[in-house]
Amino acid sequence: MALTNQRVDVPVIVDESKCLEKCHACIEVCPLDVLVKNPETGKAYMKYDECWFCLPCEKECPTNAITVQIPFLLR
Amino acid sequence: MYDDINDELQPWVEMLQSSAVEDRLVAVKTLQHIGDEDAIAPLIDALKDEDTNVQKIAIAAIWELNNPVAIEPLMACLRSPDAEVREEALSALKELIAPADLMMLLDYIQEDNFYMQLNVLILLRKIHDAQALPYVLPFFESEQEELREAAITTLRYLNQIETCPPALALMNDESPIVRREATLTLGYLQDREVVELLCRALTSDPDWQVRGRAARSLALHKNSIAIPSLAQALSDEHWQVRKFTARTLQEVADESVIPDLIKCLADEYSDIRRDAATALGNIGNPDVLNALQQTLDDPDADVRIFSQKAIDKIRQKQTAIN
Amino acid sequence: MTNTQHLKTDVLVVGGGTAGTMAAIKAKQANPEAEVLILEKANIRRSGAIAMGMDGVNTAVIPGNSTPEQYVREITIANDGILNQQAVYQTGKLGYEVIQELDSWGVKFQKDTYGNYDLKQVHRVGKYVLPMPEGKDLKKILARQVKKHKAKVTNRVMATRVIVKDGRAIGAVGFDVRNGDFVVIQAKAVVLCTGACGRLGLPESGYLYGTYENPTNAGDGYSMAYHAGAELTNIECFQINPLIKDYNGPACAYVASPFGAYTANAEGHRFVNCDYWSGQMMLEVWKELNSGKGPIQLKMTHLDEDTIAEIETILWSNERPSRERFHQSRGENYRTHGVEMHISEIGLCSGHSASGVWVNEKAETTIPGLYAAGDMASVPHNYMIGAFVFGRLAGTNAMEYVEGIEHLEPDTDWLAAEKERIYKPMQNPDGVPHTQVEYKLRRIVNDYLQPPKNTHKMDIALNKFINYHDTLDLMGARDPHELMRCMEVHFIRDCAEMAARASLYRKESRWGLYHYRIDYPEKNNEEWFCHVNLKKENDNMTLFKRPVEPYIVDVNLAEEYDVKVTAN
Repeated sequence: MALTNQRVDVPVIVDESKCLEKCHACIEVCPLDVLVKNPETGKAYMKYDECWFCLPCEKECPTNAITVQIPFLLR
Repeated sequence: MYDDINDELQPWVEMLQSSAVEDRLVAVKTLQHIGDEDAIAPLIDALKDEDTNVQKIAIAAIWELNNPVAIEPLMACLRSPDAEVREEALSALKELIAPADLMMLLDYIQEDNFYMQLNVLILLRKIHDAQALPYVLPFFESEQEELREAAITTLRYLNQIETCPPALALMNDESPIVRREATLTLGYLQDREVVELLCRALTSDPDWQVRGRAARSLALHKNSIAIPSLAQALSDEHWQVRKFTARTLQEVADESVIPDLIKCLADEYSDIRRDAATALGNIGNPDVLNALQQTLDDPDADVRIFSQKAIDKIRQKQTAIN
Repeated sequence: MTNTQHLKTDVLVVGGGTAGTMAAIKAKQANPEAEVLILEKANIRRSGAIAMGMDGVNTAVIPGNSTPEQYVREITIANDGILNQQAVYQTGKLGYEVIQELDSWGVKFQKDTYGNYDLKQVHRVGKYVLPMPEGKDLKKILARQVKKHKAKVTNRVMATRVIVKDGRAIGAVGFDVRNGDFVVIQAKAVVLCTGACGRLGLPESGYLYGTYENPTNAGDGYSMAYHAGAELTNIECFQINPLIKDYNGPACAYVASPFGAYTANAEGHRFVNCDYWSGQMMLEVWKELNSGKGPIQLKMTHLDEDTIAEIETILWSNERPSRERFHQSRGENYRTHGVEMHISEIGLCSGHSASGVWVNEKAETTIPGLYAAGDMASVPHNYMIGAFVFGRLAGTNAMEYVEGIEHLEPDTDWLAAEKERIYKPMQNPDGVPHTQVEYKLRRIVNDYLQPPKNTHKMDIALNKFINYHDTLDLMGARDPHELMRCMEVHFIRDCAEMAARASLYRKESRWGLYHYRIDYPEKNNEEWFCHVNLKKENDNMTLFKRPVEPYIVDVNLAEEYDVKVTAN
């Protein structure tokens, strides 16, 4: 099977300057489980483009590092 | 430094003592997610953290544990200079406060702090206890309109209070925000002058929200002496005043208001056409049937449905009489 | 090598949303000594339909405002007479206790100045709407109660099948969606509370997860109950809801209407005749949308600044708070713009319509030891309060059932076969991504199943869904997360086949738009005043009629419609 990697505009944006390495709050609450830590930087990012723009990640972030946009196709 | 801290909590409780605010944020957030009662003591201490974000998360975590030992420490947050801290604490206390806390609240309300006074006035609404009245009344004469507004609002939440002469004076308050709440509170009071004051507000207050609320309060009193003022208010310049007046006339009306209500069947706002049709149906005079028939092709479905119901009601009454 | 976890509990609750948390709490209250485990594929703190709270109760039956009998009448009319009134009666009867209990746990319902529940008249008959302007933390309060009652929670494990032995439910299997462990749970009773099938139709935006329902709810329970041999019912009674166009979430007209907002056509006039939210209402909406007077809107532009600000505060902090940024990013404002409305993709959800796993008034399915509650259980128009009521019934009755029952050992061959089925996509990491497989499946649902329904189209759909088993075999997964999505596509396919078969079977139109058939446009009470049930028999999907249970509340359906809407 031939596969390709396409660029996708994702809804969850993490401000890496504010994201805390030891914190997992957003990852723990995401209903779709789409957030993970980048093993190299320790910062959270949206790995899977499967977002319901429901906002727990943004609300639970202790440093307001997360902004959720409405997915591009709906915006 | 804390007793009964289990192994799961221990590292986070220690981290909460860190000098780095980032660590304290992670620690307090994690303790919130773990949600273990045993963390209550360190979380209460975190209410005094120098960082307001740590404070806010600690308040949320304590609220989630729902333990009344946190009431007093949370009360202290009500005087915080940070608006979000006060808001979070108020929200938590709204849930934690019980009738047994009345005396404590009445102690705090006497503290000379604007935010504390305002928030306690709001919390008293959860308790509904008339014993609070003597502590609420002085705020009617406060210099700050927010406190006058909060106090007159709280008054209507206190059970068993039927008359309150000092409240009536607030119908002439210089601030429309205060008058709006006073007008609603008067809906629940039985002082002799109340209906008259509400009629005056309905027909002559410069603020349309005061006039609209006067119409709503008059619906609670259902006193026929208000009918001439209500008839006059059907031509108010603001449509929502006309709407609430038409609704009040569904509760209390007589045949004298029929011509004004018929005019409303052609109002530019569909809500008024609909509510006037219902009021006419309740009065029950068959002379209005012609006017109601004409609204059956109204472009608005609600007007058509309610007009048909009014027509049916009048016809039913006719059949019953014949 | 996949690691296997073995768990054992007395009562297993699959899904920790509205119904599931309540089921676990009530099971624990019924017997604090017994073990209760909630299996949740997300995290119960923020999962299910009310992950971000709820702004009001649609079906509060509160003494002095309405009665359980009145409520049963409303639902009988709204659901065109096809219902088990005894089950619906439970929601009317127990709803008040549920509200009082939630209140005692700290859920903030709107109260008047005397401290009484402040119900709003939204329908022309009956007062059922209880606002919750501060309902944003509902789920956290439920999670707190689960913890207080010492029910166990396993987050991030997704169930794939109920284990059945000797004709009764004896547990479930699934896998950890993070570390990939195979998980086998033995239980004496299983309560399914996995929510709606919200990923059946494809939203018009084309974004797979931009659904009306929480997209984690992929019909897991419908499929698991089916494979366990339980009956499902009214699957042809689809869920279709009014919503904010493109955003695809509720506009919450119920919340805004007591403030004076209303649904209007493009000319600004109200057009809905039907009083209760039902398929009839949706048919009226669909017709208006397709008439010269569409599109339709939620109209608030006539309201004043203070009222609009109050509506905004409620709508933007509850249920779907991202509504705010949706409007903002388009430069739209309630003061100056009507909110353009549309209708949703199709789904299965008894919370809004009637399709679900068959349950009686005790929340029992047709398989001993298997219970269901919430959006996936067949009690029509049950909404949030009905989910709590049936969660409560399921938890209490399941705990009573397990008394004196022993665990049974699952069949090892069956476990091995299920394990192989689950992990197959992992053997093929370069297989077709689940996103493409799911997109095509749901596009077929839209093309051929969306009402108005037609036999030829549905025959094509059914054929495609049956053949889609082969397409599922092409799917590949690179990690346990992708595997979770692959298994969800299996659930969606099962639901699609059920939806096609049930829709073909009922040869009449009923429930307004929900089952509007071009080739049988009229209602036919002579032949179809019955439930259409289906179940798995010898690996085949069998459909049959099930008589409507005798009514306990008399309703003369012919006389009850406010205004008749005939299909044309």
